[in-house]
Amino acid sequence: MTASATTNISVTNTRTKPSRSMWQHTFHVITHDKLSCIALLVVIFYFVLALLTFMGVIAGNWGAEIGPAYSPPSAQYIFGTDIFGRSVFLKMIKGAETAVAIGLVTSIISLIIGTILGAVAGYFGGIVDEVIVWFYTTFSSIPFFMLLIAIAFIMGKGTTTVFISLGVTSWVGLCRIVRGEVMKHKDREYSQAASALGAGHYRKIFKHILPNISHVLIINFSQTFESAIKSEVILSYLGLGVQGRPSWGTMIDDSKLELARGVWWQLAAATLAMFLIVLAFNILGDALRDALDPKLKGK
Amino acid sequence: MTSTVEKVLEVKDLVVEFKTDRGTIKAVNGVNFDVFKGKTVGIVGESGSGKSVSALAIMGLIPNPPGRVASGQILFNGKSLVNMPAAEMRKIRGNKIAMIFQEPMTSLNPVFTIGNQIEEVIELHQPQLSKKEREAKVVDMLRLVGIPSPDKRVKEYPHQLSGGMRQRVMIAIALSCEPDILIADEPTTALDVTIQAQILELMKKLQKELGMGIILITHDLGVVAETCDTVAVMYCGQIVESADVKTLFNHPRHPYTKGLMDSIPSFDSTSGHTKERLQTIEGMVPSLFDLPAGCNFQDRCINVTEQCRGSLGEPILRDMSDEGAVHLAACFNPLKKFEGKGL
Amino acid sequence: MNMYSYIIRRLLYVIPVLLGVCFIIFIIFNVVAPDPAYVLLGRHATIEQINQLHRELGTDLPFWNQYLNTVKTAFTFDFGSSWSSKQQISEMIKAGAGPSLTLTVPLFIITFIVSISIALLVSFYRGGFIDKFVLLLSIAMMSISSLAYILFGQWFFAYKLGWFEIAGYEAGFPNFIPYTVLPVLLYLAFSWGPDTRFYRSMILDEVYQDYVRTARAKGVGELSIMFKHVLKNAMVPILTYGIIQIPMLFLGLLLAESFFGIPGLGNITIKALNTSDFPVIKAMTILSALAFIVFGVITDVLYTIVDPRMKLK
Repeated sequence: MTASATTNISVTNTRTKPSRSMWQHTFHVITHDKLSCIALLVVIFYFVLALLTFMGVIAGNWGAEIGPAYSPPSAQYIFGTDIFGRSVFLKMIKGAETAVAIGLVTSIISLIIGTILGAVAGYFGGIVDEVIVWFYTTFSSIPFFMLLIAIAFIMGKGTTTVFISLGVTSWVGLCRIVRGEVMKHKDREYSQAASALGAGHYRKIFKHILPNISHVLIINFSQTFESAIKSEVILSYLGLGVQGRPSWGTMIDDSKLELARGVWWQLAAATLAMFLIVLAFNILGDALRDALDPKLKGK
Repeated sequence: MTSTVEKVLEVKDLVVEFKTDRGTIKAVNGVNFDVFKGKTVGIVGESGSGKSVSALAIMGLIPNPPGRVASGQILFNGKSLVNMPAAEMRKIRGNKIAMIFQEPMTSLNPVFTIGNQIEEVIELHQPQLSKKEREAKVVDMLRLVGIPSPDKRVKEYPHQLSGGMRQRVMIAIALSCEPDILIADEPTTALDVTIQAQILELMKKLQKELGMGIILITHDLGVVAETCDTVAVMYCGQIVESADVKTLFNHPRHPYTKGLMDSIPSFDSTSGHTKERLQTIEGMVPSLFDLPAGCNFQDRCINVTEQCRGSLGEPILRDMSDEGAVHLAACFNPLKKFEGKGL
Repeated sequence: MNMYSYIIRRLLYVIPVLLGVCFIIFIIFNVVAPDPAYVLLGRHATIEQINQLHRELGTDLPFWNQYLNTVKTAFTFDFGSSWSSKQQISEMIKAGAGPSLTLTVPLFIITFIVSISIALLVSFYRGGFIDKFVLLLSIAMMSISSLAYILFGQWFFAYKLGWFEIAGYEAGFPNFIPYTVLPVLLYLAFSWGPDTRFYRSMILDEVYQDYVRTARAKGVGELSIMFKHVLKNAMVPILTYGIIQIPMLFLGLLLAESFFGIPGLGNITIKALNTSDFPVIKAMTILSALAFIVFGVITDVLYTIVDPRMKLK
């Protein structure tokens, strides 16, 4: 009884409004758990790496031939070389830029579609809601991978294909949650107070309701990011992946022909690089969910 | 008064601790009380006062971790329940000591029929009965707790019953092995007022028939006045006053008890009009994480003096009676005998 | 709402969803997709050849007509013939379903048993070392690409150690077993994680319910609480989660089939992608969506029957 009294305090805080204390609470939870702390640092590290690569500060010369083809890992070639004698290590770093780009663009596309449709459905209700619900039910009736493959296939290979096919296939879950949350929040006092003050629909949705469900968006963001990086590998294998620049997916795909010759380092390097960021996102996602979504606490 | 009646349960200096992120707290801190055959003990207090935790400690159901019985004794018919092996304790739970809870809506398993749920407890504790005998007993129990057409109701699921009916089913489960002690944790709080009266009436009637001792946990002094023989008032994990129900209501000695009594809406039958104003106890229950030195009630007390703030240590329970019956209160400045008005 | 009217409404809702699915597929394959003539006839086709092809494929018809044809295939299963092999697609699917099922059905059953056993174990020791260890292990194993599992597994266990067949397939029980063991085990390695986590959270949802406290107060043992009281309550979401995976079984394992040379539906799909075989991909998309919709309805109907609380609502 008494033990639960303390947790109740944080529950009431998060339920009513994501006030500063909610984010403080989240920050507190993440920084006080060693594992989530490390995960956060890993994610930040990858983002910095991607930014530096993007600006050309590092790994700009990934395409250069630095040694003989298929040199195994050594002091000279940290992760060995590929078929063209390029550094696998540099490709791995350049791949981080690709991965972060894919994660960001996919998450942003799905965030925009999912939030707008979900908010509109939940807020206006009635026929608008029914149409949107029908739309996402339909969309989610086609298995994710088949839809992804079909869209990517029709668009043809390329980086844009990866962005768009992943983006338009991953908004449904978010849309469903946002719709539910908006429905819950639209009748709350602060939102009614806003309409009493004459706030328009647009203002009410974006200024009053969405900030209150931002935690849902953030949790979803980390999930979409992580699954986009994983799906890119499949697209690369199907020959629908990123072109003209290294990605972990194409590196893993390349290794299918290399393994039989004993060349394992390209697979190892790409898998390791991907494993670390996906694992970090998974751990962080769990920590965020525990901290921000009291319903799921203790799971 | 106690010499003639059999003592079934003795709680001695019970301390229950909980480990939390912010440190260890004593949810129950040195509690003593006895339960006698055929008698009802009321434990009264605000939420967080440790009354439910005491009950769970008797049942051996303190979630461990984070909680544990740190010290003290719980003697059931002279046998210690603290640190009793789990298997042995299970034979007592539901059989010799049974418990009903505050939330009849959620306390029954939604996917089993009520007949099934009563049968389970009989099957566990009376394995000698055949399937037929068990089924007959289930119907008998439902009849006993006043559920109409019990032979049909056994096949129903909890969601098909009203709150009052579900609480009756809970009582049927609790009483089907004819326990020596029934612990009722706020059994009527979640129910409508008329249903409340029915359930209390039913418990009294069954107590007469089966002769069990009842521990009634409640925050409602009105319920206590109607049903209990003795009362213990708890505050911050400690008993601050205990006496037989008449003495306590006529002459409360602890300011907290009086405060609780003044906050009950009541109807004075002699003068025919309601009492003027409801009073509340000012202030908040202190956090168990930082209890004040001295008396825990000091910041809310109307009689507080300098000595309550720690110079004399914590107040301990002392006998305040000048007649025969025992009347314990933990207060440095107890109310004068006729200061507290009766109910 | 009464249970029957709910079921009927649920069944009727299939119609707009099915029409919608066909519409999306029609948009993708008939509107957005490039002209099949480029794929089939190449750069140097004459106008007559192109017109002739359009007539054969029905792509010269107005859009509404093409849409109706798409809807029709969802009911007749007449998907036409493959561009690359000229075979009837419905025949190809029939031939591919068997090998796929020999992979997916054992995988489904083994994953279910393994995941639910681990979930029960860790829920029983919730908060303890085993629980934390298993949770971390499951997240770690989920974080590795499925392609990496397959590549490494095939190379290491089949090629290097020679414990399993590298690739190939033989029809008929028990001949297929040597070929399917490794892919099944490799899929298990990355599919037990999410399943276990889901089942665990469903079970823990129930563990803290009031009725569990009542069962304890009755003197019921912890094991019996877990397996009788908790599991029966958690069974509703768990079964839902299980059933909704069944349509995926018919799709086969996309990656494993092509790597291990198993002639299943996944393999057919990948081959079609490599040869730009539009009608096969379209057929697989329609088929998988149909399976999803049908099983979605079955799940919802079972739900109302299994859970006594639903009956009166």
